[in-house]
Amino acid sequence: KIEKAKPIKCGTFGATSLQQRYLATGDFGGNLNIWNLEAPEIPVYSVKAHKEIINCIDGVGGLGIGEGAPEIVTGSRDGTVKVWDPRQKDTPVANMEPVQGESKRDCWTVAFGNAYNQEERVVCAGYDNGDIKLFDLKTMSLRWETNIKNGVCSVEFDRKDVNMNKLVATSLEGKFHVFDMRTQHPTKGFASVSEKAHKSTMWQVRHLPQNRDIFMTSGGAGSLHLWKYEYPAQRSKKDSEGAEMGVAGSVSLLQNVTLSTQPISSLDWSPDKKGLCVCGAFDQTVRVLIVTKLNKV
Amino acid sequence: MPLWLREYSWRQTDAAVYLSLPLRGVRATPANIFCTDQYLKVSVPPFLFEAVLYAPIDDTNSTAKIGDGIIFFTLYKKEMAMWDSLMIENANKEKLQCLRENAVLKAHEKAKEEAEAKKVTKQEHKKYTLEATMKLEAAERKRIEDLKEQERQKVTRELELWKNQQTDTERQKRLQREEELHQEVEQLKERKNEKVNKFRIPNEGTSKTRVKPTKGCPGSDSMFSENLKEEQLPAPRSAGTIKINFTSRVFPTALRESRVAEEEEWLRKQAEARRTINADLSELEDLKEEEKNPDWLKDKGNKMFATGNYLAAVNAYNLAVRLNNKLPVLYLNRAACHLKLRNLHKAIEDSSKALELLTPPVPDNENARVKAYVRRGTAFCQLELYAEGLQDYEAALKIDPKNKIIEKDAEKIRHIIQGTLQDS
Repeated sequence: KIEKAKPIKCGTFGATSLQQRYLATGDFGGNLNIWNLEAPEIPVYSVKAHKEIINCIDGVGGLGIGEGAPEIVTGSRDGTVKVWDPRQKDTPVANMEPVQGESKRDCWTVAFGNAYNQEERVVCAGYDNGDIKLFDLKTMSLRWETNIKNGVCSVEFDRKDVNMNKLVATSLEGKFHVFDMRTQHPTKGFASVSEKAHKSTMWQVRHLPQNRDIFMTSGGAGSLHLWKYEYPAQRSKKDSEGAEMGVAGSVSLLQNVTLSTQPISSLDWSPDKKGLCVCGAFDQTVRVLIVTKLNKV
Repeated sequence: MPLWLREYSWRQTDAAVYLSLPLRGVRATPANIFCTDQYLKVSVPPFLFEAVLYAPIDDTNSTAKIGDGIIFFTLYKKEMAMWDSLMIENANKEKLQCLRENAVLKAHEKAKEEAEAKKVTKQEHKKYTLEATMKLEAAERKRIEDLKEQERQKVTRELELWKNQQTDTERQKRLQREEELHQEVEQLKERKNEKVNKFRIPNEGTSKTRVKPTKGCPGSDSMFSENLKEEQLPAPRSAGTIKINFTSRVFPTALRESRVAEEEEWLRKQAEARRTINADLSELEDLKEEEKNPDWLKDKGNKMFATGNYLAAVNAYNLAVRLNNKLPVLYLNRAACHLKLRNLHKAIEDSSKALELLTPPVPDNENARVKAYVRRGTAFCQLELYAEGLQDYEAALKIDPKNKIIEKDAEKIRHIIQGTLQDS
């Protein structure tokens, strides 16, 4: 058991190699630390990343997933999203901040994606005012933004290490949207389909590592829903001006279960055993679950 | 008077009586037939047939078949005996009457009983169906539970197996690694010895051979991984910044669709509150709705200032101030108008009022304060009160030190002051 001075909000193993297994954490004071759990007294890397609590963190380039440099992205209540390289001290390699004079909104969730070769990478960030923004790190520009009318609790690409395929964003009021990321229309952006479930905040979404069309969402009522996405017959079509436009498919509920009366705030799948997952809830329990018959879906 | 039907024929066996009654062309329905255990009546107006039977019959089981113009009765006797005749002979009127009444009563009772019996059976049927469905559902649920339980056990077994498998492979890998490590260490030791030997023999001109340093082994893992060929990772990205804008939101809380309606209401109420504070001035009744809104008046004033119509702008601002005298921007803009109109004292007044309202000095109202100071400074200078003017310009510079125009103007004023000082 290891205790640190400031409470820790979020963590990821995403940017470390399989041998090193360093844990990157963001805490309530805005510090980003990377710990070697075998020698946890002093962090391997430490930086005062943000002025306020780091709400969310994601890593890419480690664990054998994703090409290119290992990077960590953090999103904070101070409205900025910063990308860090553990080899570069003190300054972020990318900083997405509001323009001068703009009032800041909390960034609630970040996710890496599109890391299919060494240069390409995108970061998707979700904010409490319902904004979703997609930043392209190769061109250092904002690639797409939209607003889903509810604060965005969690975003995830179905795979970090392929050409971006699907993005799921969950939000308050029990809604989630699945965006088809293969076709971007110049004005309409990406096509999406949305569903309502849980009747409460959807805290997190996680895709099954073994099948990228299956994902699980966790809700504020203590329930977990397992969904399957079906692609449409044609993933893109031409609109009236001849521009390519994406077509969203459909989502069907495979199974659901209520585990607790308190929100289930986080969940994750095991990459080694198909169907093994773990979730943590506000009733101070960590539950390990197994989902069966995923082969037959 | 009904017509009596007397043409009938009958025959009998020990157990039953078969009576056939022709109806002379009229149709009969079951309602026309009335039968109790010893009395039979068929009444099809205008015909009437009546029989007080010789012996009691079982009227529940007896049947009547209505055919074309004829009724065929099958009456089952209560007692097995042969009847002398179908009807009782020598029946006097009173007796007949009695019998008839009894029969009717009996029929009523029977009907009631039957109704009761029916109800009871119906209830029982319902109960039975309910229980049956409950049982079925319970069975279904149990079946599902069993399936789930089976599945659960199967999966737990598989999980255990898999766990053991993982630990086994883990152990194997570790052993393997240690083996290889051992070999490496051995090799290094040999090489070291070789090099040491080489060193001893020729001691001239031998370049220092560096023995490959053996790193301490804190964990066999790290050593082995460093011996692995280092993967070529790209250099850290060159730093960049992306500036973003947010979809505007007045409230600091997160956006929820269900709250949007409430929030809109609140905002509307706030806007209303900022309007007319003393809206009951009588002359205001003549004004249009929008003219009572200080914001609208301010915009109107701004437009007129832009077109150069300073007097009209002042009027607009005056009215706005009367409606809401707490908005510093009104005084600020009015001061600008007065400057243009060369009402310098008024300009100073208004700028001062604006500055008053702009306390406490926060970053939010920086711009406004700078403008106020500059305008007041200009007014002072135009009144040739250069010292006060300079004071104001310097205050403005303090808030916004990067403003070149203010700096230049301040310099100019300083020169003028120095010039006048020199003169006098």
